[in-house]
Amino acid sequence: MHFVLQLIFSGVCVGAVYALIAMGLSLTFWTTRTLNFGQGSLLMTASVATVALLGAGMPIAFAVLLGVLLAGGLMIVAERIAIRPLLKAGDSMGWVVSTLGLGIFLQGFVSTVFGSQAIAFPSLVFDSLDFVDLAGVQVSSQYLAVLGLSLTLMVAMELFLRRSAWGRAVRAVSHDADAAALAGIPVRRVIVLSFVASGVLAGIAGVMVAQITGTVDPGFGFNLMVLGFVAAVFGGMGNTAGALVGGVSLGVIEKLVGGYVSTAAEHGMAFAILMVILAIRPQGLFGRKEFTKV
Amino acid sequence: MPDQTGLEIQGLEVRYGPVQAVRGVSLRAEPGTITAILGANGAGKSSLMKAISGLAPASAGRITLDGEDITKLSPHERARRGLSHALEGRRLFHRMSVEENLRVAWDFRNRGGGFKTVADRVYEQFPMLTARRNTPAGMLSGGQQQMVILSAALIHEPRYLLLDEPSLGLAPVIVQQIFGFIESVCRERRTTIILCEQVAAIALRVAHAGCVLRRGQVVRSGEAAALAADPTLSAAYLGG
Ligand SMILES: Nc1ncnc2c1ncn2[C@@H]1O[C@H](COP(=O)(O)OP(=O)(O)O)[C@@H](O)[C@H]1O
Ligand SMILES: [Mg+2]
Repeated sequence: MHFVLQLIFSGVCVGAVYALIAMGLSLTFWTTRTLNFGQGSLLMTASVATVALLGAGMPIAFAVLLGVLLAGGLMIVAERIAIRPLLKAGDSMGWVVSTLGLGIFLQGFVSTVFGSQAIAFPSLVFDSLDFVDLAGVQVSSQYLAVLGLSLTLMVAMELFLRRSAWGRAVRAVSHDADAAALAGIPVRRVIVLSFVASGVLAGIAGVMVAQITGTVDPGFGFNLMVLGFVAAVFGGMGNTAGALVGGVSLGVIEKLVGGYVSTAAEHGMAFAILMVILAIRPQGLFGRKEFTKV
Repeated sequence: MPDQTGLEIQGLEVRYGPVQAVRGVSLRAEPGTITAILGANGAGKSSLMKAISGLAPASAGRITLDGEDITKLSPHERARRGLSHALEGRRLFHRMSVEENLRVAWDFRNRGGGFKTVADRVYEQFPMLTARRNTPAGMLSGGQQQMVILSAALIHEPRYLLLDEPSLGLAPVIVQQIFGFIESVCRERRTTIILCEQVAAIALRVAHAGCVLRRGQVVRSGEAAALAADPTLSAAYLGG
């Protein structure tokens, strides 16, 4: 019994992290109608940079902050060189190649500088063996912290999108960029903002996952990004609640498969199950059919 | 407030690749008047409007707003200079509520003051929107959507207002009401309005001046009354 609860709990925690990545991917998808396939490598770069800065003796808070800001900053570069020039060409799908290319370049760059071996990621706040007792179930403090931070960020994101002028501008640009421009919204800056937010979310997600797994390597971002995509599509690619439900479902399925079948099958089985669900409900759990423009 | 000398367009051209949608259009909208731009479907009315608001880049020509050359400005900069444009086909933010639509229109163009006061003025103007303030705009009737669009376009008291086929797809009674409102905006707030329509009669009833576009060129222009009195107009240029 406890074993099941343990699995479900850890699934919810990693799922909340997938939700953050999903949220970031959805943000830039809605503002530009492109998918940023470089997201994974950006996320990995943030956590590798954090390790490197910690290794250089920088205080934890500082190293993490810089790592996350680096992810946000790299997103500005990604938008500028891999997305914006290709959107000028109208219906070009060139961004698929350019964002993938940017990701592969970053991964190669990090491999060259740090090697392609896994690098140990130190414990930042809690040790991986710390736990708290929650109604008789032993719960890892690290997982609990990850869950708390992820949920806080999701709520913050939702408040930003609903309650602030720039957040509403992000939604307006997602709906109809021309109409948004006519309302005085600086569309280009809103798009850049969505990329920065996406990068910051991904950067934090990367650091949290690295914290749980204890290592980072140049390839780890790619898997996470794919899981983020799945969570986003599963949740209906649009709102915070959808991303959260999508991420958490994916996390829980994955951990249950890992616990009862085999950890090697974790991702594979999770994907198979999601494919079946999507075949039945193609718009995702929370997806709405887009309003057609008149 | 800067001197209002009107909106002046000289030799304007708009191209979409090989298609030339607007060819050397020159026209002038006097301050505090309504100008009607008439023409059949595909004549270039929307392209002309988009070039004025900046959504379609002008490949040649000059646009001046109260003496300031705005040809090179981006759409949001023109919007903040008091030029408002309501697009064809009732484009509002469908999944956002009525209130959020007004709010988004207000956020980046407000000149200080509270949103609540302006929103209340909108609900006073159109009482039937009050009950629907939290309804997604996509679920309103066509007439109510047009009210939201007009209110959003006017929320910051712009000096200039471009309206692209406001009568499209609305019942005659609603069209009457909408055009009555448009006329009152011009009269009471001295807003300069440029209005394009396929249906000449409706537009010329409220307009002071007008012109007819055909294949991207101005083929007729003059006072609204004179255009309205010309029996050959619709047969010759407006496709019946
Ligand atoms: N985005 C576009 N791309 C290519 N051609 C366009 C585009 N928009 C309009 N056109 C063409 O430009 C011409 C004028 O269109 P438009 O300005 O929409 O006319 P109207 O509003 O009078 O119906 C038409 O031939 C139309 O097909
Ligand atoms: Mg048109």
